[in-house]
Amino acid sequence: MDERSRYLILHPLYRNSDLDQGLLRQTLASLQRVAIGYCSAALVGITLGILVGSSVWINRALDPIFQFLRMVAPLAWVPISLAALQRNEPAALFVIFITSIWPILINTAVGVRQIPEDYINVSKVLKLSKVDFFFKVLLPSALPYMFTGLRIGIGLSWLAIIAAEIVMSGVPGIGFFIWDAYQQNYVTEIIVAVIYIGAVGLLLDRLMSVLQNKIANQ
Amino acid sequence: MSVLVSVEQVEKSFPLPGGQEYLALKGIDLQIHRGEFVSLIGHSGCGKSTLLNMVAGLSLPTGGIVALDGHTITAPGPDRMVVFQHYSLLPWLTVRQNIALAVNAVLKNHSPAERQQIVEEHIDLVGLRHAADKPPAQLSGGMKQRVAIARALALRPKVLLLDEPFGALDALTRGNLQEQLRRICEEHQMTTLMVTHDVDEAVLLSDRVVMLTNGPGSRIGNILTIDIPRPRRRLEVVNHPSYYSYRSEIIYFLNQQKRIKQWRARRSTVVARHGLEKINLEIGFVPLTACAPLAVAKEKGFFAKHGLEEVNLVRETSWRGIQDGIQGGYLDAAQMPAGMPVWMSLGGGDNPPQPVVTALTLTRNGNAITLHKRFYEQGIHTLSQLKAYILDSPSRRLTFGVVHPSSMHNLLLRYWLAAGGIHPDQDVVLKTLPPAQMVANLTAGNIDGYCVGEPWNLRAALEGSGFTVATDLEIWLGHPGKVLGVREDWARAYPNTHIALVKALLEACRYCEDPAHHDEIRELLSRRAYLSTDPSYIHLGDPQRLICDLDRPMREYAHHRFFLGAGNRPSRTEHLWMMTQMARWGDLPFPRNWVEIVERVCQVGVFSTAARELGLDVSYQRQPIQLFDGIPFNGEDPLAYLNSLAIKHDIYVAEVALDRRPVLL
Repeated sequence: MDERSRYLILHPLYRNSDLDQGLLRQTLASLQRVAIGYCSAALVGITLGILVGSSVWINRALDPIFQFLRMVAPLAWVPISLAALQRNEPAALFVIFITSIWPILINTAVGVRQIPEDYINVSKVLKLSKVDFFFKVLLPSALPYMFTGLRIGIGLSWLAIIAAEIVMSGVPGIGFFIWDAYQQNYVTEIIVAVIYIGAVGLLLDRLMSVLQNKIANQ
Repeated sequence: MSVLVSVEQVEKSFPLPGGQEYLALKGIDLQIHRGEFVSLIGHSGCGKSTLLNMVAGLSLPTGGIVALDGHTITAPGPDRMVVFQHYSLLPWLTVRQNIALAVNAVLKNHSPAERQQIVEEHIDLVGLRHAADKPPAQLSGGMKQRVAIARALALRPKVLLLDEPFGALDALTRGNLQEQLRRICEEHQMTTLMVTHDVDEAVLLSDRVVMLTNGPGSRIGNILTIDIPRPRRRLEVVNHPSYYSYRSEIIYFLNQQKRIKQWRARRSTVVARHGLEKINLEIGFVPLTACAPLAVAKEKGFFAKHGLEEVNLVRETSWRGIQDGIQGGYLDAAQMPAGMPVWMSLGGGDNPPQPVVTALTLTRNGNAITLHKRFYEQGIHTLSQLKAYILDSPSRRLTFGVVHPSSMHNLLLRYWLAAGGIHPDQDVVLKTLPPAQMVANLTAGNIDGYCVGEPWNLRAALEGSGFTVATDLEIWLGHPGKVLGVREDWARAYPNTHIALVKALLEACRYCEDPAHHDEIRELLSRRAYLSTDPSYIHLGDPQRLICDLDRPMREYAHHRFFLGAGNRPSRTEHLWMMTQMARWGDLPFPRNWVEIVERVCQVGVFSTAARELGLDVSYQRQPIQLFDGIPFNGEDPLAYLNSLAIKHDIYVAEVALDRRPVLL
């Protein structure tokens, strides 16, 4: 193993310049983007999902559009978002957003549509108010589905950020790091970075799983 | 009691894929009174849950009105709280939270403290204090359903709606919960509508049981009022004298529905052959010694000989089944108690008049009156001794079993009692039971005696549970027992088949009459398809050895007559006598147009044609009927005869219009 790689492994937190940083710093930069993109996707996705799930007509109108957009690969969004947003940073966020929103939205919609008939009947008989119905019946009932969506979504957003950073060079992040290493033919560095990416993906998934068990599986 | 829920002419249809509609319910009329417990029972898919949901407001009728307290129901509401089969508790809330959610949502004008108190009260009501903070997932099925019931009761609904509440529970838990529900409903005077599959549950809990027919287009087939005093305890209620008759009434209804479904599924095509309009016949019979001619005609090939190649004998356990089969057109012909053609034609049992004709008397005699052996031991061996016993013990009314309001057993028993000065409706109780259940009921002490056809008198005597107090000899020697009955429209649609049927059965009757064949017939009748009993109970008997010796009640006294030449001819005088007896007990009005009705019921022409074609001499002379009390009946003036009888019900006379129904094809 060469000296550079060893240094990288032993010093994850060094910082020379914006683009020349330790791997942990690079990862954190990427994660920060994921956090912003993913959270906005979750917010918009769940809201839209509830809307779509509770109305057959909205669902019929929007479902084809969702299915159409869902099939567009994250990389295909990169040029569009760059062209539209002009700058690298917001474009990267948008790619994450648009990649991870679909599973969240669709699963939430399914969850809302699958509220057992019995629960709906009970709330009808009790004449529960809209607010009560939302918080006491709809949300808890759809929660497991939402979490399934959120868990798939976080995986996708992590995939997307790597792809996005590779393409839109010039921002610090683990994706750009790989691209840079490839340009300079440092294959061992790429392998080290891939291990980082995998480990972070695993951690993110576990984190969601813990959250899911805590909140949704009562 | 005032009406709380009223269902008027309700109809419900569901759209089917492909633009068609499925009619689930039709013409439903039901009124539920305040404080009443009503059950809906019927086979799966008959629309009972649909009806309940319409009262709940969860689905709306496509026709008619469902109203609560006079207000049409258009939406669900907490005044009609539903307990669903699958509990429908919210799994993310604890027991207490589940109940509180409902209480807080509904009882808004109560203070929080009051609401909390109501929640705690109802947790205690169903005994779930120890589980109040557990989520439903940690509770058993029975406990979950108790929570659902507590949640419903906590809202103080006007009506409690239960949709198969105990359907998913095991038998033990179900029993316990039924008991709790019964207690709560009785204490709170709860108006309740329950859907159930369970006959015992319906009888235990209900004031009325509403039985629905099979869909599509289910109707209310029957409403049974359960007159058993409350409080009813599950283990005690089964001992109530009426319990089993309520139960068998419901089971009979459900079985009948199942059979109608099978009948509908079997496409009834008419097979014509050999110059006969229909040779595939469904003929109903009740397993009795008197069914011998039918069994013989089938097994010895008399049906086939006369061209009726596809005859299927349908075994019914009760005369009611025969009545319904003929009424519904599911049976082509049937062995009937002698009075049934007249009774059905006059609209007996609150049915619309259904003209039924008879062209053949199948058997004479073969009936007897049996009393519990207790009476024998107390020295009651005659009618006058029985009367003295009844006068001495006015506190307890004796109960006698008969097989059908229209059967000779009923008419003869009544006549016999009345001749002895006992009023059959005031001094004793008469109960309708299927023939095969008589001995068991006598042994169990549900009835004190009965009048029924053989082999059930002989069997009680042989088993030592009863003794024969009177036979045909003591009442009316040679009375008609069973006749062949068909619908009048059937007879008109298939005249040649009718004659062939009479010919086949007349030949079979002649075969049965020959003592040389008796052992063979006894063996035949004892088979599973017929009486399914030991041949030692079956005796065709020799009328020359009529003995009813009370000291030796085992002696032969079954003395059926199957063939008497002119005696197989349908007798107008006899049918008229039966008509007078039905009027005598207020069962039916005496028809002003009795001449017309007797003419239509007795198809003498068919009999004469059949007999002539067989080369039989059936010349006869009209004779008055003579019963044991010596009062003759000649059929000249039936009203004067009725008036001359001492013990009778108020008699009313009315014109009975027999409509000519469209020919059934």
